[in-house]
Amino acid sequence: MSRPRALLEVRALHAGYGALDVLRGVDLEVRAGELVAVLGPNGAGKSTLLRSISRYDATLRSGAIVFDGVDLARATTERTVRLGCLQVPEGRQLFARLSVDDNLRLGAFVRRRASLDAELSAVYERFAPLAQRRGQPAFTLSGGEQQMLAIGRALMARPKLLMLDEPSTGLAPQVVEQLFAIASELARSGTALLIVEQNAYLTLRHADRAYVLEGGRVALAGTASELMRDERVKAIYLGGSTA
Amino acid sequence: MLQLLVAGLTVGSEYGLIALGIHIILRATRVVNFAQGEFTIVGGLVALTCVDVLHLNMWFALAGATLAGFALGLAFEIVVLRPAGRTGEAGVTIATIGAVFVLLYGHALVPGWGSNPQPLPGFGGPATGSVELAGATVQVQSLWVFALLIAALAVLYLFFERTYFGKAIRAAAENPLGARLIGIDVNSTRAVSVALGIALAAYGGTIIGPITLVGGAAGFALTIKGFVAAIVGGLESPIGCVAGGLVVGVLQVFLQSRLPYDIADPIVYSVLLVMLLVRPQGLFGRRDAVRD
Ligand SMILES: Nc1ncnc2c1ncn2[C@@H]1O[C@H](COP(=O)(O)OP(=O)(O)O)[C@@H](O)[C@H]1O
Ligand SMILES: [Mg+2]
Repeated sequence: MSRPRALLEVRALHAGYGALDVLRGVDLEVRAGELVAVLGPNGAGKSTLLRSISRYDATLRSGAIVFDGVDLARATTERTVRLGCLQVPEGRQLFARLSVDDNLRLGAFVRRRASLDAELSAVYERFAPLAQRRGQPAFTLSGGEQQMLAIGRALMARPKLLMLDEPSTGLAPQVVEQLFAIASELARSGTALLIVEQNAYLTLRHADRAYVLEGGRVALAGTASELMRDERVKAIYLGGSTA
Repeated sequence: MLQLLVAGLTVGSEYGLIALGIHIILRATRVVNFAQGEFTIVGGLVALTCVDVLHLNMWFALAGATLAGFALGLAFEIVVLRPAGRTGEAGVTIATIGAVFVLLYGHALVPGWGSNPQPLPGFGGPATGSVELAGATVQVQSLWVFALLIAALAVLYLFFERTYFGKAIRAAAENPLGARLIGIDVNSTRAVSVALGIALAAYGGTIIGPITLVGGAAGFALTIKGFVAAIVGGLESPIGCVAGGLVVGVLQVFLQSRLPYDIADPIVYSVLLVMLLVRPQGLFGRRDAVRD
């Protein structure tokens, strides 16, 4: 049985900022329709990994990032977006003073000549609370709604891969559950997801596979159920809690 | 009284446009462009060339100066500000101060421009015409200044509030990280913002030209008046910037009518310090608008 080529392939990636080495040989792949988690303690380099893939600001030193068959070594952030590789960064980074509707429409910036009405109504259907707030500036939304808006904005670009950096930060547990349910649904409908989280147990329950990053290296990798049973994961990240 | 008010609103329109240009560039680059007044002077001089050398009327001269301002602004961002940005915001600020001197001494070397102020013809007639309005004598060119100020504000409003690209520029100015991650090329939107700000300076320098003459060494004083206007109205608010300009213009003209020139102007400048101490958000701004 031959498995399809991965949508995202990261091979032996070394990356950092200035003289600081953060990633020291990371291998990772994500296939279409998969929900993959990246776990690990603060400072492990999880955000740096996503920023490297988005070609945002980390400097690539060696190794390769291949997205949908395209080597991203020389790509700009704009190009990664055009290829369908979208990131919802830490802190959401919405356009606070622009309306919900404008935030979403701008999400389709790279395909702005297309008609956006179909996508827009699909996003409002998926995130019902946003539909009532179309005209409101983004800063008036609750934390959960802001995270929905950030995801909705990225969906407007029709991503093949959606990367979420700590989407659960600052949100109530029920809202987090809701977000993960939406993420699973997106994965089932064919969009690949790469989710960075510190909340290991919750994330593993929704993920297909996971990588544990420590000190810029992959310390553990496997299917979510394998990792959930792994004594080392339990000891390090769950601290015995099952919440 | 009415005559003084109209005169104040006329110079105030220019201050308002300078303040608005400073605001647009500040939003996009996080830096105050100290050369805004010099670009206003250069814009007026480009209009002069359009009239004297190309024999165009003032309407085409206005279009020419505004387009030249836009092109100059693009070049200014790409050639000067962007490279200076690699050393941080302080580097960009210093680059704009450097541009003050290059433009101040440079424009005097251009044939036909020189260092002395020169007259421009008026819009729709001679520069000197006047009409009686409610018992006061009002310069026709003042009325054109008001109309052209409102036209510029309307165009900018429609661009930033109603067009997709205008909203993308606002988005990139507000959150460059969020903008880049949806594929907006923040370098381009920043260049266009600076170009718009400089185009506005050139436009302002041209519409006031028939009244105040164009050229000369007053560019930096204009920048400071524009900055006072922006602080008075609230640096964060585009409408506040324009309103602040009108307030500063009227204040200046009333003070000058009562006091010697060398006392009136320092009072206008000291408004800057008073406002920063008492109401940093500006007369029209909200307190929570003061950030960063
Ligand atoms: N823009 C940056 N410039 C310099 N160092 C950075 C930058 N971003 C992160 N770092 C450093 O890189 C390391 C990894 O950070 P990060 O990737 O944010 O970890 P995580 O997301 O796993 O918490 C940290 O030591 C952090 O201080
Ligand atoms: Mg992080």
